[in-house]
Amino acid sequence: MSLRLKYQTVLTQLAPAGAVGVSLALGAASPAAAAATPTDTQPSVADKEKVSERLAAVRDAVAALADEKTAAAKAEGRLAWGNWGGGWGGGWGGGYPWNNWHNWRNWGNWFHNW
Amino acid sequence: MPQIQLLVVQPTPFCNIDCRYCYLPDRTNKAVVAEETLHNLFSQVFASGWADEGLSVVWHAGEPMVLPVAFYRRAFAMIDGLKPAGLPVRHSFQTNGTLIDDAWCDFVTEAEIGIGVSIDGPQPLHDRNRVTRSGRGTFDKTIAGVRRLKERGVPFHVISVLTAESLAAPREMFDFYLAEGIDQVCFNVEESEGEHRSASFAEAGIEDAYYRFLSEFWRLSAAHPGQLKFIREIDDAQRNIFRPHETGFFNQLATPFAITSMDWTGNIATFSPELLGLKSPLYDDFVLGNINRDRLIDLAARPLLARMKADIDAGIAQCRKGCEYFSVCGGGEPVNKLFENGSFATAETTYCRITKMRVTDLVLDRLERLPGFGEGGEAARAAANASPVG
Repeated sequence: MSLRLKYQTVLTQLAPAGAVGVSLALGAASPAAAAATPTDTQPSVADKEKVSERLAAVRDAVAALADEKTAAAKAEGRLAWGNWGGGWGGGWGGGYPWNNWHNWRNWGNWFHNW
Repeated sequence: MPQIQLLVVQPTPFCNIDCRYCYLPDRTNKAVVAEETLHNLFSQVFASGWADEGLSVVWHAGEPMVLPVAFYRRAFAMIDGLKPAGLPVRHSFQTNGTLIDDAWCDFVTEAEIGIGVSIDGPQPLHDRNRVTRSGRGTFDKTIAGVRRLKERGVPFHVISVLTAESLAAPREMFDFYLAEGIDQVCFNVEESEGEHRSASFAEAGIEDAYYRFLSEFWRLSAAHPGQLKFIREIDDAQRNIFRPHETGFFNQLATPFAITSMDWTGNIATFSPELLGLKSPLYDDFVLGNINRDRLIDLAARPLLARMKADIDAGIAQCRKGCEYFSVCGGGEPVNKLFENGSFATAETTYCRITKMRVTDLVLDRLERLPGFGEGGEAARAAANASPVG
């Protein structure tokens, strides 16, 4: 299975929970969750793809999901994303939920670095 | 034409406290910006057409609340009188919180000011660095301000500077925020900027410590859904990782005038806002001109700006060519490159390894740890169904 398909598989299942749900699921996916003390360490990168390839594969997966949902919405006569049930697009004004993560882009990044 | 997205205004360089990691060199100076200087700035910003989609103004780089509410009432009224009809202007303060009282809460509410409070966690961690000039901790006064904001229903976020001690205490930090009803948090690391050399950056294993801290903090947050609405580092990383290919990364810190800073004398700088006030013979202390003597629109043609931009672009080119994380970063922070590596025209810094690379690693690692990654759909579906938000 390609890296893109691996990401697409998990994102397909998580997407209906919306951006907040994705974050909660990822936050909970910690090996420390079952441990008494926080021992999480970064996995060895020796057996992983390069980071740039992992990032590209994630974005390929996101694009594939977007295409699927757009096609489904068109087939059902709905607007893509914006009215899709389950929260992925709902509440975010359409588009990808992370395009307007928590509306904080409206603030610029003034609180970034002080 | 440049577009100013963020205008940082220094109303006074003075700060009523004396944090051990502060990089601001002039924080004992009680000077105050003149109303004429503010008039020159805002009249030119609005006339330039450089802010025709709206403007965020941050009053900072000194403690903004050492000046009275009346100062800001006059300033905001003047700005309202100068701005084009319909142009949204949002004011924000980044404050140490020690001076917040009912009068400030009234004004913040009335003027819809965005508030960020700097607090470094529970008292033992906060008081290690955030101290008065006599060395006493400031936690009691800061938390009193935070509680006043909560009691009055004023929305705010906090920024906490992480040191080696707090990086080892994610649960204590998390419990503190929950106990105080703080639901929007941002983490900064103690950086090397100006004369300040970061003790944290010199610690062995600082990158691993940061990864472990965020990992555990995120896990705790996920175990308490709805308590923390915003964790900047996690939320920003996800936004940058899960964005579409076609949406490029816009590096505000490397774009001329996207962030424009003015000190109390009227000096103007751009790129990283921390640059204004720092010394650099090479770059004329980063000052492009003075709003009381120069026309704002002429500053875009200054040779100094072209020289800084060329060096910053050269650094970004190195990042683009050699860094695996370029697509989530866009070439990093000029101020950190200069003060860690000695030049804008460089690539990797400790700051970016900690705040960009390790956070990206964390999100990708979590994604790959989800049940179903590489196994088909059933296990992933089970993970999604177990998610507390549906």
